[in-house]
Amino acid sequence: MSGIIEVENLSFGYNLQEIFLKDVSFEVMQGTFLAIAGPNGAGKTTLLNLLCRLLTPKAGSIKIDAAPVESYTVKELARKIAVVRQEFVPVFDFTVAQVVSMARTPYLGTFGFETRADKNHINEALEMTDTARFSSRPLAELSGGERQRVFIARALAQNTPILLLDEPTSFLDLKHQVGIYDLLKTMQLEKSKTIVAVTHDINLAAQYADVTLLLGADGSHWYGRAEDVFSPEQIERVFGVGGFTGRIGREKFFIPLGKFAKDNRQIGRKLNNS
Amino acid sequence: MAEMLTSRKLAVRVVICLAMLGVVMCLCAFVGTQEISLKRVFAGPGVKPGENIDYEIFVGVRLPRVILAALVGAALACSGVILQAILRNPLADPYILGISSGAGLGVITAVISGVTWSLWAGSPIAVFAFAGALGTVWLVWCIGHFTGKSQVTNLLLAGVVINAFFSAVIMFLTSIAKSEQVHSTIFWLMGNITEKSLTVLGISAVCILAGIFALFCISHRLNVLTFGEEEAKGLGVDTAKVRLVAFGFAAFITAIAVSISGLVGFVGLIIPHGVRLVFGPDHRQLLPVSGIIGGVFLVAADTLARTIVAPAQLPVGVITAIAGGPFFLVLLAKYSRKVSWLK
Repeated sequence: MSGIIEVENLSFGYNLQEIFLKDVSFEVMQGTFLAIAGPNGAGKTTLLNLLCRLLTPKAGSIKIDAAPVESYTVKELARKIAVVRQEFVPVFDFTVAQVVSMARTPYLGTFGFETRADKNHINEALEMTDTARFSSRPLAELSGGERQRVFIARALAQNTPILLLDEPTSFLDLKHQVGIYDLLKTMQLEKSKTIVAVTHDINLAAQYADVTLLLGADGSHWYGRAEDVFSPEQIERVFGVGGFTGRIGREKFFIPLGKFAKDNRQIGRKLNNS
Repeated sequence: MAEMLTSRKLAVRVVICLAMLGVVMCLCAFVGTQEISLKRVFAGPGVKPGENIDYEIFVGVRLPRVILAALVGAALACSGVILQAILRNPLADPYILGISSGAGLGVITAVISGVTWSLWAGSPIAVFAFAGALGTVWLVWCIGHFTGKSQVTNLLLAGVVINAFFSAVIMFLTSIAKSEQVHSTIFWLMGNITEKSLTVLGISAVCILAGIFALFCISHRLNVLTFGEEEAKGLGVDTAKVRLVAFGFAAFITAIAVSISGLVGFVGLIIPHGVRLVFGPDHRQLLPVSGIIGGVFLVAADTLARTIVAPAQLPVGVITAIAGGPFFLVLLAKYSRKVSWLK
């Protein structure tokens, strides 16, 4: 069985800059949770945009469901991949229900009215993400965490096998971060969706993701199980920051420690070097 | 459960609004300097021409003018809705991308050069205005298209630059023109609805209604487009295509409206806003309802314009600006307060 996303020897760089994604190859199986991590400028979001064809690779190929990504029309691709970006307040005062309804755009007919089946998808997405209780409120009145849930509800109502997320929890507090990841995991387990999330939070990524792609700023990359990829040496090399790695039961965690950390014995080695 | 728009709900609302438009049009057609009686109008044209003056005024003068006002109002309001959506800017109006100055340049060229030929029963002023409007929009589109990828900002900038440049040319031509030529140009620039031939009315009606229908067919994609390029593509919308279609038809119906009525301001800005405040931002509903309410508004404004200083007539643009501003402020105050009470 081949993966639902196959990336082979992918390279990308904006015109004048040097190539920052070099020869990236990986394969994601249907129903797995992939976390993409790495420092700023490593090309995480770029990789996501390549997967949903907002950008065209300089070399290499991307296959979605065994067909090259460029062989899909915009509409067909929107039935395969749903994208969640960082939440924002739209220009006009759309309500939660209206925003989630837009997920059905790639399925609508000439005049763009939802059928009963469309409405079922919309209601199910609203229920599952716990956004139904404020479905008639405009997005501007919600908190950031609530708004992010709405965008995830929209992606769910789009009814695609693949879900791409670009730093879905960046501006959220701890409770909402965990809430969003729980929701994603539920969707993976209950709906067997393939989830690809770009994240800065390697602890949450290690907890929730099945596989991890770690991108370095120099074009290097590592792909594998989260516990293998996130080794202390690897993290220090890629992110350029030392820290404390620990383990509680089966969960691995990493705490970055800077020069002025109160307990800097953990990174004494680093301080002596500099 | 939140209310969702269905085709049935929309149809009911559109029919109610159309009925309102019909009533307003009939009422306004009876108002004027010459009093006409309902009974005499229904008596029919009579055997020989000139027998029933009331009927002839109603059918020959008032009705075409009222229909014309409704068409222009609908075109401007719909065009405003579309431009606000594709530019993702609530302050956009039908004239923001240079249509006004382009048409104005066409008109003053026609007036100064004194051309007398006509095309499809359109006066030289109308033909030149139409050509000027579409030519400018095309120019703005090309500049916006070839200067970079972030099309929305570039389009706006190109529109502003072209507007400024053409306005300067208009000023120059006005300053060298004779005074009686300037008078007719200024009336046109203020927006002025006058009686037009049935041919002009027919052609405009078909073009404007067809344009609005085409825009209605892409209206659900416009909802998504207001979220931005990336979001829209992710939801399966071919953004370049939809934007081109929306822009093209909006420019087309605006050019028609401008060529028959001059630059009627405010309708394209306040009607979409007002309708959005009351009915919400879903374009499938916003577009048709704005069109109809735009028609109602301009019919009423034009009736005022031709009666308030009778027997003289004001340019309707003066009325829309004077009435539209405060009306909009009231609407805004009312609805923003309603929102804060709920909190």
